[in-house]
Amino acid sequence: MISRIARKELLDTLRDGRFRVLAAVVLAISLTSLAAGWKHYREVQRQHAEAAAATRAQWVNQPAKNPHSAAHYGVYAFKPKMRLSMIDTGIDPYVGVAAWLEAHKQNEFKYRPAQDRTAVQRFGELTAAEGFLVLLPLFIVLVTFNAFSGEREQGTLRQLLSLGVRPFDLMVGKAVGLSSALAMVLVPATIAGIVGLSLTSEFGALAADAPRALLLGAGYTVYFATLIAIGLGVSARMKSSRAALVVLLACWFANSLIAPRLASDVAAAWYPAPSAVEFQKALDHDLADQTDLERRLQRRRAELLERYKATSLDAVPINFSGVSMQEGEEHGNEVFDKHYGRLFEIYERQNRLQQTLGVAAPLLPMRALSMGLAGTDFAHHREFVETAEEYRRMIQRVMNGDIAENSKPGVVYTAGRELWAKVPEFNYQAPSARWVLSNNVRSLLLMTGWLIVAVAFAMTATRRSRVD
Amino acid sequence: MFTRILRHEWRAITADASLWVVAGTIALAIAYGTFNGVVWVRFQQQAIADAAREERDRYAQQEEAIARIAAGQLTVSPFADPRNPQTAASRFAARYAALPPAPLAALSIGQSDLLRYYFKITSDTKENVTAGAELENPHRLLTGRFDLAFVLIYLYPLLILALSYNLLSGEKEQGTLSLALSQPVSLRTLTLGKATLRFIVFIGLIAAVASLATVIAGVDLRAPGAVPGLVSWLLAVAIYGLFWFALAVLVASLGRPSSTNAMLLASAWLILVVLIPSLLNVLATTLYPVPSRVEMIQAVRAAADDANTQGSKLLSKYYEDHPELAAGDAVQAMNDFNVIRVAVAADVEHRVRPVLDRYEQQLSGQQRVVAWLRYASPAVLMQDALNDIAGSGTARHHHFMRQVAAYHSEWRDYFVPLIFRKAQLAAYTGLPVFRYQEEPAAAVIGRVSTALVGLGVPALIIAIVGWRNLRRYPVTT
Repeated sequence: MISRIARKELLDTLRDGRFRVLAAVVLAISLTSLAAGWKHYREVQRQHAEAAAATRAQWVNQPAKNPHSAAHYGVYAFKPKMRLSMIDTGIDPYVGVAAWLEAHKQNEFKYRPAQDRTAVQRFGELTAAEGFLVLLPLFIVLVTFNAFSGEREQGTLRQLLSLGVRPFDLMVGKAVGLSSALAMVLVPATIAGIVGLSLTSEFGALAADAPRALLLGAGYTVYFATLIAIGLGVSARMKSSRAALVVLLACWFANSLIAPRLASDVAAAWYPAPSAVEFQKALDHDLADQTDLERRLQRRRAELLERYKATSLDAVPINFSGVSMQEGEEHGNEVFDKHYGRLFEIYERQNRLQQTLGVAAPLLPMRALSMGLAGTDFAHHREFVETAEEYRRMIQRVMNGDIAENSKPGVVYTAGRELWAKVPEFNYQAPSARWVLSNNVRSLLLMTGWLIVAVAFAMTATRRSRVD
Repeated sequence: MFTRILRHEWRAITADASLWVVAGTIALAIAYGTFNGVVWVRFQQQAIADAAREERDRYAQQEEAIARIAAGQLTVSPFADPRNPQTAASRFAARYAALPPAPLAALSIGQSDLLRYYFKITSDTKENVTAGAELENPHRLLTGRFDLAFVLIYLYPLLILALSYNLLSGEKEQGTLSLALSQPVSLRTLTLGKATLRFIVFIGLIAAVASLATVIAGVDLRAPGAVPGLVSWLLAVAIYGLFWFALAVLVASLGRPSSTNAMLLASAWLILVVLIPSLLNVLATTLYPVPSRVEMIQAVRAAADDANTQGSKLLSKYYEDHPELAAGDAVQAMNDFNVIRVAVAADVEHRVRPVLDRYEQQLSGQQRVVAWLRYASPAVLMQDALNDIAGSGTARHHHFMRQVAAYHSEWRDYFVPLIFRKAQLAAYTGLPVFRYQEEPAAAVIGRVSTALVGLGVPALIIAIVGWRNLRRYPVTT
């Protein structure tokens, strides 16, 4: 019975002119957005790969100089573009693309791509994710709102029930039929996406993205299923198609436009973040406070004298300026860890609170999951920033270690390519899909919860639904 | 007759719950949006005040250090000497250039959360000086704020449509339309009356809540430009509302059932407010892609490497170009690190200018595309108008950035001769100060009125088409 209802529903939907127009629009938009995303990804990825190679070449081709000068010269860390960002650009336009990794300082990532765009950017990026999160739900509203109420208004509901069709079967059949219609729009778009992905990468990289991509597909399936269940439930519950449409449109608007902004405002008010001036001032204050550093330098001096049984540092085979510079770095690192750690923690808390507010709007957890899996959420940005910072600290350790071991106080010392090449190339590996899931437990739970509640709502709504 | 329709319509809609839901929603949203805007303006003002305080404290500290060095109580290394003009210009005497929020900034947050509103000006290259950004959670930048502009651009039209999608079809479906028309009243007068009443309700409500909210929030109406700004803001709200009412009348005139009207209007809203702006963005960035800034960084770096290896050669060339500076002990200056630094910086800026120009060309290409095609979306026009009125748009920021660039040059021009002369600063007085000059009011009014005309003309055309269609309206099915 269910399959017969589903087939009828599918046929009905496919014959509906509204559906055809909407399907064509959705397909056109997803293909446009995928093509634009693909082109953008390729360009940016190429530019970043070239720049990364260039900064490496500049580093190893430095002329002979003091290692500390080399440390000051430094390298740049360029943020690589994730392949799945062509589906969901996430926060990419709003975070800097490059940071200078130099001695003594953790520099922020500068140049947000959105600063090089016009104000229409703020209406939202036309990405596949935007289509899935915002436009497809509207499409679902428009095909489900009269699924039940329409039958009731035409008098066919009474007919169906008089034939002994159980309301439960009717609901499941309609859900299956509408989902198949939706799938007929989405499957071609997904195939186009896979083709796009495989055009950008050799097979190995595609396989590496497979877990993330599959999870992304599963997440959106749950999201759509939730929305279909809500749509059918409201259609069964409301007195008329008109009322169902108005209620569903209001829900859609609240979910896609009000909830994200409201959640972001609430989170920012709950966990206030400092301004750049305030942040810099606190950072400078702690950097300037060197009492702890002095104490540590005293200790290192004593240790060295003790180890080499010497009375003066001149008699020690280690150049103390290398040691003291490294201690200066360590002092800075502690300060940077404290301040950047605190700042990032504020943002993470804001983002977690936004996810939690997803109890009121399913878009919030789905968006977090989507950006997470696409590798374009704040957690990924932070991960990259911290990896780059780790690399910077490694450069400092290598340079200062060389000064301590090989140079003599008061003698001009230079090192060459051999030392520069000792610093391995900066190579960033994106974290695994499992890491993403562990970051998004909250979202996963909320989405499961939403699905269960939506299905239960649809079931009770059908059972209680009036016949006329 | 018309006033009688208005009165009757008022009784009819006040009896309906949907008016109170809509009115409550918009009043709440406007109050909250204004509040949010005010919070953001306070944040900006606080950040600017903090910057000014930091500058003041630093100046006091350095002045004191200078006095102590002069008195022989303090010795510092030449590089950390606050009297050294290079050190002063690049660190100790750095000054802030800030863009204060405009009087009506609370009405639209616009681009002000993305484009930085204060810079610490040093003798470093202009690109480095202006590269940073205000700290902000990127998720928040992506989502956008719930400000008054959001309420007006997105929510306001939807609520208009919610109250008027069944303008005529509702009465027709209840069977009261033919009854009403049996009175000596034409369908057009009836429609006009219904639309006018709803329009008055909306404008009155928005004007009342927003004015109340701005007054409570302490917006200074005596500030120059505040009153004309508020007037043009009201005008923008009215014309934007008119556009959506005209659309509702046009759809009503087609004589379809209420649910079809609702679908048509919701689709129109989606296309005009969500899809066209996003497509515009895709189009602009595809036609004029701005290369990733990493290309610029690499170009600057390559130029700097080159310039550094040629440092001393550059220096002699610099002296050729500026013989007035070479007077005195030029040979000695040759080895002066600071002098080379100035020469290198000048050379790097000269070399990377074409690269930087490309970014600006591409961005202005994007702006041209949007400027022409924005007439396809009332939402984009409304955004432009609101941002201009609030002073949080791109144009005012450009105006600010031009002044920042001029101030940065002034700053360097002040210090370079001192560096070459190897002078020592006796005090931090007389250093150039940044004073923001507000845009001329005429420029703002010009931009706002262009956008408003762009909104008003299509609204009028749609209204006329709807009006003409009404003649053929099928009163009975």
